[in-house]
Amino acid sequence: MDTLDTRLKDFFTPAAPARLARRVLRRVEPGPDLSGLIARFAIEASDRGVRRLAYGRGRDVATRAGRRHVERAREELHEYLGGRRTFFTVPVDLEVPPFQAKVLAAADRVPFGAVASYAELAQRIGHPRAARAVGNALGANPVPIFLPCHRIVRGDGTWGHYAFGGALKTRLLALERATPALVGSATTRIVCRHGCPHEQRIAEANRIVFASVADAAGVGYRPCRRCRPVA
Amino acid sequence: MDERTFARLAEEYAGRLYAVAYRMLGHRADAEDAVQRALTKCFAARDSYSPRWAVSTWLYRALSNVCIDELRRRRPMAPLTDSQQTAPPRGSDRVELTRALEAVPREARLLLALHYVDGLSYRELAAVRGISVNTVKSQLARGKAIMKRALDGE
Repeated sequence: MDTLDTRLKDFFTPAAPARLARRVLRRVEPGPDLSGLIARFAIEASDRGVRRLAYGRGRDVATRAGRRHVERAREELHEYLGGRRTFFTVPVDLEVPPFQAKVLAAADRVPFGAVASYAELAQRIGHPRAARAVGNALGANPVPIFLPCHRIVRGDGTWGHYAFGGALKTRLLALERATPALVGSATTRIVCRHGCPHEQRIAEANRIVFASVADAAGVGYRPCRRCRPVA
Repeated sequence: MDERTFARLAEEYAGRLYAVAYRMLGHRADAEDAVQRALTKCFAARDSYSPRWAVSTWLYRALSNVCIDELRRRRPMAPLTDSQQTAPPRGSDRVELTRALEAVPREARLLLALHYVDGLSYRELAAVRGISVNTVKSQLARGKAIMKRALDGE
């Protein structure tokens, strides 16, 4: 055994806090599952995609061709709220001013489970002094959750305003924190986005979570050709 | 698996799970939270636990999944260690090793932690991460080479 081996053995020696297991076991409880909230959402869709998502009141509204978008949106939203999906494939039909479109597109690029501040988002769209305008643009987001404005928080770490209420923002962020985004199959060595039909077929015993596609590729996994993970 | 057996296993493995999580996440609170989440997942799935699996593989798989997903969320420049909290003297062996470990990519870092905390074999490590034994060997060698370079450079 070389010197580095000896040092590493010593370095990794377990030193857990006292009574850790007892403390942890006392708090064992099921992870967040918000799928029961699905009935409280109302979806409006045009021929081109989802136009509006409302919470707490209203009912689904859709053009004849938009009905399929409503059905798909509802199904994906239900999976998302149950922690079985991390992304949406249903198209969104946005009719917003260019600045708001830019802000919403930037919010959409904040990875699942992560958060960014209003100021960071302002910087990312090239308007570093427009944090307040970014907040207003997010506040008027017609399709929250589908375009994840809940991932934008204040610079001091507090949540800030949310169209569907602070309590739901907290629950959505907790749900995302407990849900992995990239899952590989130990049998096929393919890595998918959580929510991909292929990923949903991976048995519990074969699920391997990865932090990035590059990490997965580094240990012999290839990205799924259906959901095309890029993160 | 009944609740009592699970509690006994949790008691037995908690220290080692914590050690792996701490070296992966660098914060005591995050490590404890990761152990909690991993045990919660295993507790919920305890009825589907198959005896053909080693218990250690099952528990370490759950913990690895939680730790790796937690690292995904962190920003690239997020500090890895809580050396301010634990406050070992600057220049001590632990500080040097912690810094060297930071330079190791996530997958190799995880394998190093599992290998040195519990002495898992190449085959067990391969089962925990769903990779081949050869990949385990190359990742461990790579991780150690990076650490050695980082330590020699100091």
